[in-house]
Amino acid sequence: MQHFIERPRSSCALGGAIATLTSLPRVIPILHTSGGCGQNLSGAFASGGGNYGSGYCGGGTIPTSTVSENEIIFGGEDRLREEIENTLDVMNGELFVVATGCMTEMIGDDAESVVEGFRKRGVPIVAISTPSFVGDSYCGYEIALNGIFNQYLEPNLESAGKRAKAVPAINIFGVIPAYDPFFRGDLEEISRLLGSLGYAVNTFFTPDQTFENILRAPSAALNIVFSRTYGIGFAERFRERYGTPYWLTDMPIGPEATDRFLLEFAERTGASKKKVRDRIAIENKIFYKYFERTADIFRDSDFKYYTVTVTNSNYAIPVAGYLMRELGWVLKGSYVTDILEESQKKSLNDAFDAEGFPIPLRFETDTGRIAESITRSLPEYKGSRYYNAATPLFIVGSTLEKATAAARGAGQLSVSYPAYNRMIVDRGYAGYRGGLHLFEDIVGTLVGGK
Amino acid sequence: MAKKEIKQIAIYGKGGIGKSTTTSNLSAALSDMGYKVMQFGCDPKADSTNTLRDGSYIPTVLELLRDKSKVDARDAIFEGYNGIYCVEAGGPAPGVGCAGRGIITAVQLLKQQNVFEDLDLDYVIYDVLGDVVCGGFAVPIREGIAKHVFTVSSSDFMAIYAANNLFKGIQKYSNSGGALLGGVIANSITSEYQRSIIDDFVARTKTQVMQYVPRSITVTQSELSGKTTIEAAPHSEQAKVYRELAKRVDAHTESVTPSPLDAQELRSWAAEWADQILAIESGEVKDAAQAI
Repeated sequence: MQHFIERPRSSCALGGAIATLTSLPRVIPILHTSGGCGQNLSGAFASGGGNYGSGYCGGGTIPTSTVSENEIIFGGEDRLREEIENTLDVMNGELFVVATGCMTEMIGDDAESVVEGFRKRGVPIVAISTPSFVGDSYCGYEIALNGIFNQYLEPNLESAGKRAKAVPAINIFGVIPAYDPFFRGDLEEISRLLGSLGYAVNTFFTPDQTFENILRAPSAALNIVFSRTYGIGFAERFRERYGTPYWLTDMPIGPEATDRFLLEFAERTGASKKKVRDRIAIENKIFYKYFERTADIFRDSDFKYYTVTVTNSNYAIPVAGYLMRELGWVLKGSYVTDILEESQKKSLNDAFDAEGFPIPLRFETDTGRIAESITRSLPEYKGSRYYNAATPLFIVGSTLEKATAAARGAGQLSVSYPAYNRMIVDRGYAGYRGGLHLFEDIVGTLVGGK
Repeated sequence: MAKKEIKQIAIYGKGGIGKSTTTSNLSAALSDMGYKVMQFGCDPKADSTNTLRDGSYIPTVLELLRDKSKVDARDAIFEGYNGIYCVEAGGPAPGVGCAGRGIITAVQLLKQQNVFEDLDLDYVIYDVLGDVVCGGFAVPIREGIAKHVFTVSSSDFMAIYAANNLFKGIQKYSNSGGALLGGVIANSITSEYQRSIIDDFVARTKTQVMQYVPRSITVTQSELSGKTTIEAAPHSEQAKVYRELAKRVDAHTESVTPSPLDAQELRSWAAEWADQILAIESGEVKDAAQAI
């Protein structure tokens, strides 16, 4: 092993799959794993995802084959079959997803052939392969999506089309439940904005959604993937299967980014530019009506900060952009904490550079190294005559940055996973409303000490 | 009273090379010498001890474990020829589950329940499936189990390749108290050059040949009647060969860490031999010894 990650900010593929499956309407996970996987992995995001919780048929209540020594030696397919039968007896769902764990994958259990037997009986079920060694939770999110949209759903556009609403639909992907702790609020804001332009938006993961949204997804006009790193392979397969084009972009935070997002959306979809411009005008008016009242405190208290972001790859560009462009803060560091392939780093880097940030994007998975890097690049005053104070400093990161911020006397806000010290329900930072929320939360921590 | 040391040995080799035949005859011969012997089949096929029990299969450790969570390991021990204790680890059906884990579980069960000591054994001989394909099949050579490993190999390249892999496994565990290599039991040796190939291989890997076992119809006849050669044809030439092997194994005390060849060395070595065999077969060189 080349490197161990100190205080990792993701769990395994199964963890990501569980977060994804338990966030979808009427989708029931069945784990083919040893006992403990479901509970422990749910525990990680149930608190780390802004105290997201484990949900219906989640956490300790996820149906699990709980394989033990006998199943490991003799194979666990019969146990899985039995667990599926039992689940079907007591649970009512639109779709059952068997997700495998390390042990059953290592002994070569064929979950796919087991679910095939149930499918032949008309049971809505699919199997996905999610052992820890295939990747982290972000990888698990994508595997789960592929299992549902690119494997379970028939490539039958006619049937999906019949289900569709009269207005054109947009699917939203790339936002990872729990691992993007503000996923619900963010998705709702995007849905609100695109809905105001006359689109039906399939967010899949917000409370308003039903299983119908999943069934309708293939007939959507466009997939928007709010990520430079996740869900891209999925979107490509989706395009091959259903012909749906996709657009990779960043989650817009604040009016500047959201204006750009909506204008580009109009370009890509042929949405009425007038409608978009009118919407932008309305939203900006509201945003700045709120914002102008805050100007007094913002100016008088001299809330001008140096800032460092420490986030997953999805929030790196949106948060840095917001701090620099909306607040006018001086960006001194931007760290991405995900475990990324070189190609993922490159696409994220390219997008970061294209935004014109004054600093390079840094990739670092270890909390201690991030703290060390911040300390080295922003040295503290130690009696020298001249030095770059870089104070006051504000770190927008995860709960793991609390100690680093405290040691420097810096402000800190947890916006990225793990966000144990936040209670996140429908709050989001996307769009215009999200821009106000982020402002509230950042300035709220600064005035909170009064 | 000093505790008697049980001599635990493991027999490895490529599948189908004659491990179980050799092991069973070795067990039978050691038993004839007056030792209390247990033969432990570590193969999901569970047929290692067949010829010690008139061709019959016995319930395996894992079958017992499958049926109930608490198992008395003694329920999996059956007496065979001359009181030899026969145990089969057993395992999953082909293509499912994890046979390696099965071996680990079965071996640990007997070890945990102090079966070897209670039976006052002199010898435990593990007959282990094929190549050392995963950690499970390396269990008998890991710390605290077998002390000496013997590998059965013919002069065929694939058999030697498997033996060389085993040597790598032994080398890996040698620093952590694992079993060391006793030597090679050369099986199916019918010609001079086959003997030379094995001799050359053991010289290069710094080990020794324990015995040259010729291919023999007596073995086939005995096996077809469900018996070892020692039992079915005790006075045959082949039985003598096995008895001699048993004496050498009994006298063997110091095993060593082998020096396996790396992939490139093994390939070059095999290529050299291919040229020499061709020369012998085509009559270029009449005397095999000259070719070496």
